[in-house]
Amino acid sequence: MKTFVIALLSGVLAAGAVSAATVTNKDGETAVLVVVEGESRMEVAISAGATEMICPSGCFVTTPSGDRIGLQGDENVEIVNGSAIVK
Amino acid sequence: MISRAFASFRRLSYSNRIVTIVRAIPYRARFGLSRGLKLHFVGKLLAVSVCLLSLAGAGAVVAQTALPAQTTTQPAQTPAQAPAQTSNQPAQNGAQPAQGGAQPAQNAQPAADGKAQPAPNAQQPAGGAAQPAQNAATPAQPTDAALAAEAGQSQTAEQLADAGKELKRLRDLVAKASDDDIALAELKVRVDAVAKQIISTSIATRPRLDEIKARLTELGDPPGEGQPPEADIVTAERKRLLAERGEINALTGEAESLSVQATKLSNGITATRRALFSNTLLKNTDVSVEMFDEALSATVNETKVLSRSTMSWLTFVWNYKRIPLLTAIFLSICAAMVFLVGSNRLFSPYIHHDKSDEEPSYFRRLSVAFWSTLIPTISTGAFAVSSFFFLHSFNVLRSDITPIIAIALAVIVAGFFVTTLANAVLSPRESRWRLVRVSDRGAKVLLITIFAMALVNGLDYMFGGVSEALGSPVVLTVVKSFIASVVIGLIIIASAWIKPTLKRDEPFDAPGRPWPRVVSIVLMLTGASLIIAAASGYVGLSRFIATQIIITGAILVMMYIGFLTGKAVSRQGAFAETAAGRYLERRYKLEQVGLDQVGLAAGLSIYALVILFFIPLILLQWGFQVADIESWTYRAVTEIKIGTITISLMGIMAGVLFFALGYVVTRWVQRWIDGNVMARSRVDAGVRNSIRTGIGYIGVGLAGLIGLSAAGIDLSNLALVAGALSLGVGFGLQNIVSNFVSGLILLVERPFKVGDWIVSGTTEGFVKRISVRATEIETFQHQSIMMPNSLLINASVGNWTHRNKLGRSEIAVTVTYASDPRRIMDLLAEIAGAHPMVLKNPSPTVGFTAFGDERMTFELRIYVADVLTGGGVRNDLRVAIYERFRDEGIGAPFPLKIEDVPVEDQTGIESHEPETVGEPKGATSAEARAAASKKEAASAAPLDEEGEEEGGKRRASSRRSNPNR
Repeated sequence: MKTFVIALLSGVLAAGAVSAATVTNKDGETAVLVVVEGESRMEVAISAGATEMICPSGCFVTTPSGDRIGLQGDENVEIVNGSAIVK
Repeated sequence: MISRAFASFRRLSYSNRIVTIVRAIPYRARFGLSRGLKLHFVGKLLAVSVCLLSLAGAGAVVAQTALPAQTTTQPAQTPAQAPAQTSNQPAQNGAQPAQGGAQPAQNAQPAADGKAQPAPNAQQPAGGAAQPAQNAATPAQPTDAALAAEAGQSQTAEQLADAGKELKRLRDLVAKASDDDIALAELKVRVDAVAKQIISTSIATRPRLDEIKARLTELGDPPGEGQPPEADIVTAERKRLLAERGEINALTGEAESLSVQATKLSNGITATRRALFSNTLLKNTDVSVEMFDEALSATVNETKVLSRSTMSWLTFVWNYKRIPLLTAIFLSICAAMVFLVGSNRLFSPYIHHDKSDEEPSYFRRLSVAFWSTLIPTISTGAFAVSSFFFLHSFNVLRSDITPIIAIALAVIVAGFFVTTLANAVLSPRESRWRLVRVSDRGAKVLLITIFAMALVNGLDYMFGGVSEALGSPVVLTVVKSFIASVVIGLIIIASAWIKPTLKRDEPFDAPGRPWPRVVSIVLMLTGASLIIAAASGYVGLSRFIATQIIITGAILVMMYIGFLTGKAVSRQGAFAETAAGRYLERRYKLEQVGLDQVGLAAGLSIYALVILFFIPLILLQWGFQVADIESWTYRAVTEIKIGTITISLMGIMAGVLFFALGYVVTRWVQRWIDGNVMARSRVDAGVRNSIRTGIGYIGVGLAGLIGLSAAGIDLSNLALVAGALSLGVGFGLQNIVSNFVSGLILLVERPFKVGDWIVSGTTEGFVKRISVRATEIETFQHQSIMMPNSLLINASVGNWTHRNKLGRSEIAVTVTYASDPRRIMDLLAEIAGAHPMVLKNPSPTVGFTAFGDERMTFELRIYVADVLTGGGVRNDLRVAIYERFRDEGIGAPFPLKIEDVPVEDQTGIESHEPETVGEPKGATSAEARAAASKKEAASAAPLDEEGEEEGGKRRASSRRSNPNR
C-alpha cells in the first residue's frame, strides 16, 4: 500500500513539477507568436501541432490574429485559428 | 515584507492551483458518482475502485475529454438561458406592447418572436427555441455587457495608469538613490512587484477578450459580395465588438510596454548596484605623502569638530533634556540588567564553566562555548538596540550625533562578539574547557591577537562612521582604513610566529610548538597581501578583506561549533545525557529509542538554526541587503527553475500538507463509518472490513490527487506517468497490478473475509488481513503466510466459514465382533445427543461403515454450530465414548493388535471377558493392566490411521485442537 503510493507519487513528481506556459499550435500551419518577456521581444515560431514552452515568469504574447494576451507563466495555451485559447 | 511576499505567492500560484483542484475534483466525482448512483453498493465500490485505478492512466484523459464536453454544452445552454435572462428587455421595451409589460420572463421569448404562443411552449428544449431566442437576445446583450466591459476596461486602464505613475516615481527615486545600495535593493523589490502587478492586470482582461472572440465567431464573418446583407443589428454588434477588441489589445499593448519599462528599470538597478559595489571595493586611491599631510590636518579639524559638536550636544541635552536622557540611560541599563540577569538565570548552566566538572565532555564544552557566546552576544545586541531605541524615542539624539552613537554601539557589539567567541573557544584560563588543543600560553597570545585585530577593525569602522557623520574629507577615512589594514596585516604576520600547537601527549602548560608550515605561510601571505593591497591604493578592498577575516571568520567558527554541537547531539545516546533529554525522559517517560529520535531531530534542528541564522549574517556582512536576501528566499521557496521546469518548494509543501490532511480525514472517516454507522447497523465484520479498506483506497487516492494539484503538478502530466506505468505493467508490474485488482475483487466479491477459515492448495488457516498485494493467512501453528491475491482469485478456495459456521465432524469407533452393532449405534447416538454442543438438527447419525478383519468400524457423525469448536466436541465425545464403553463392558472402541498378546494372557482375558479383546475393564488383574499399557502403545498408530481414513478433512481436525482452545 505505502510502497505503491510512494511509487506513484515519485513517478508523478519525476514527470511533473510546475512548468512554464505551454503553447500548443492546433492549426494546420505554423503560428508565429511575438513574445515579450522581460526586456526582450522575440518571435517564436510554432509549427503545426507542436508544443512549446515559453516564458516561465510571465510575459506578453501577440498571437497571429493580432490579439495580445498577458500570461502569468503557468498557463496552457492553445492556438486555434490563429488566436489563443488559455486553459 | 513577509505579508507582501505571501500575498503575491497566493496570487501567483494559489489562485491557479486551487482552481485546478476545484476543477479537477468535480470531474472525478462526477465520473465516479454518476455511475455509482445506478449501481448497487458493492458494484459502486467496484466501480469507484476501478475508477481509482484507472485514474492514474485515464485521469488526465478524463480531464481532457471532460473539458471539451463542458465547452460544447455551454453554447447549448446559453441560448436556453438567454431568453430568461435577457429577453425580458425587448418585452419591456414594448416590442409587442399588447403582450409586454407585466409578462413573466418565460413569455418574453415568444413575445419577442412575434408569435402568440402559449406559455409552456416557451420552455421548449433549446433545439427549436434557440434560434429565435438568440436573435431576440441580440439587441439585449450589448447594453448590459457593454456597460460591464466598459467598466472593466476603464478599471484596467486606471490600474495601468497607476502602475505607470508608480513606475515613473520609482524611476525618479532610483535616479536619486543611485549611490545608496540599501535603497536600491529595496527599490528593486518594488519595481519587480509593479512588473508582476502589470502582468496580472493585463491577465484580468483575458476573459473579456475570450468572450468577444467567442461572440464574433458566433456572429460569423460579414457577408461578402453578392451575399444577402445581414441585419443591421448584427453589423452594429460586430463593429462594436471589434472596437472593444481593439481597445483591449491596445490596453494590453500598453501593459506590455510598461512591463518592458519595469524590467528595464529593474535590470538597470542591478547594474547600478553591481557598479556601485565594484567601485567601492576596487576604488584605487593614490597613496602619497600629501595624502597623509592632508589627513593629519583633517584629523585635527575633525577632532575639533567632534569635540565641539559632542560638547554642544551634551550641554544641550544636560540643560534641556536632562530627564529624558537620564530616563533613557536608566531604561537602557534596566533593559541590560533584565537581559543579563534573565539570560544568566535561564541559561546559567550552559554559559558558565562548572567548577566541579573536572573532565567536561567534548559535547559539554561545545555547548558551553556555543551558548556562552551566543547568549551574551544576543543580550549585548539587545542592550545596544534598546539603548539606541530609548535615546532615539526620547528625542535625546541630534541628527549629527545619531550615526556616531549607532556605529559606536554596533562596533561594541561586534567587538564583544568576536572577543567572547575567542575567549570561549580558547578558554585561556581553564585549559580543560578549551575546544582547540593549544597551549596555555598560545591560547593567551592568540586571544590577545584576535582582540587586537577586532579592536583595530572596530575603531576603524567607528572613526569612519564619525568622519562620515561629521562630513570630513574622504581622504581621512581612506587614511584611517589604510592604517587599520596595515596594522591588521602586521598583526596577522606577527601571529605566524606564535607557538600554540601541542603534541598529542603534551600537557597544556607545555611551551608549545610553532604553527604547521602551511598555516604560518597562509598567515604571512594574508597579512602581506593586506599590506600590499593597502599600499598599492586598494584601501577599500584591503579594509573589506580585513573585516571579513575577523567577522566572517568569527561567524564561521561559530557555525562550525554549532554544527559540531548538532553532530554531538544527534550521536546515538548523546541526547539522553543532556538536560533536555533527562527532562523528556522524566516528563514523558520516553524510551531510549524515542530519546534517540528526539536527539536526531534536535541535532537536525540545530543544523537548520545555524544555517538560517548565520548564512544571512555572513551575506549581510558581504554587503548584500536584507531586501536581496528576502527576495532570494522568496524565490527559493516559490520557484526554483531548472530549464523550463519550475519547482516550488512552497507548492510541494502545500501538496504534502494537503495529502496529509486528506489522509487524516480518510482515516477519520474510515473510523467513523466503521465505528458509528456500521457497528450500529450490525454489519458483518467482513463487509465492514471491505468497506473500510475501500474507503481507505478512495480517500488516499483522492488525497494524492489533491496533493498533486496543490503542489502545482499539472494532472495532465499524469498521462505520461500512465504511459510509463502501462509499459511497466506490460513488462514487470503485471503481477503487482493483477494482485491489486484481485485484492479489490476479493474485497467486493468476498469469497472469504477477515477471520474466515480457508483452505487453498496446501495452505490452511485463518484470514488475518486482506491487503493490496497479498492476503495474510495465519495457520494453526501461528505461521503467517502471505498469499498473493491473484492466487486466491485463480485457484479454488475452500472456506469453512463462508455463509455459516455449521460443520460436520466424524468420530470413528471400532469394536470387536463380540459386541452388538445395534447396541453400539444406540449408545453412540445417545452419547452424541447428550453433548450440549452437538446440534439436534441436523441430528447426529451413526453409520456402520466397515467390517474389518477383527473389528467392526462405526462412524459417529455430528453437526456443530461452530466448526471451530468441533475439535473440543470430538475430544469430549471420545472421552465419553471410552468411559461409557468401559462402564458398559463393551470393549475398547479402537483396534488392538491381538497377535501381540501372549497366548496364555489372551486366553486368560478371553476366558474372562470373551467379547472385549484387550479391554482394561477387569482392571484388577495385572494382566489387564499390562494389556492396557500395550493398548496405549498401540493406539497412536491406529488413531493416525483413522485420520487417514477421513482424508483431507481429517488433517484439519487434528489441527483443530489448536485453534479450539
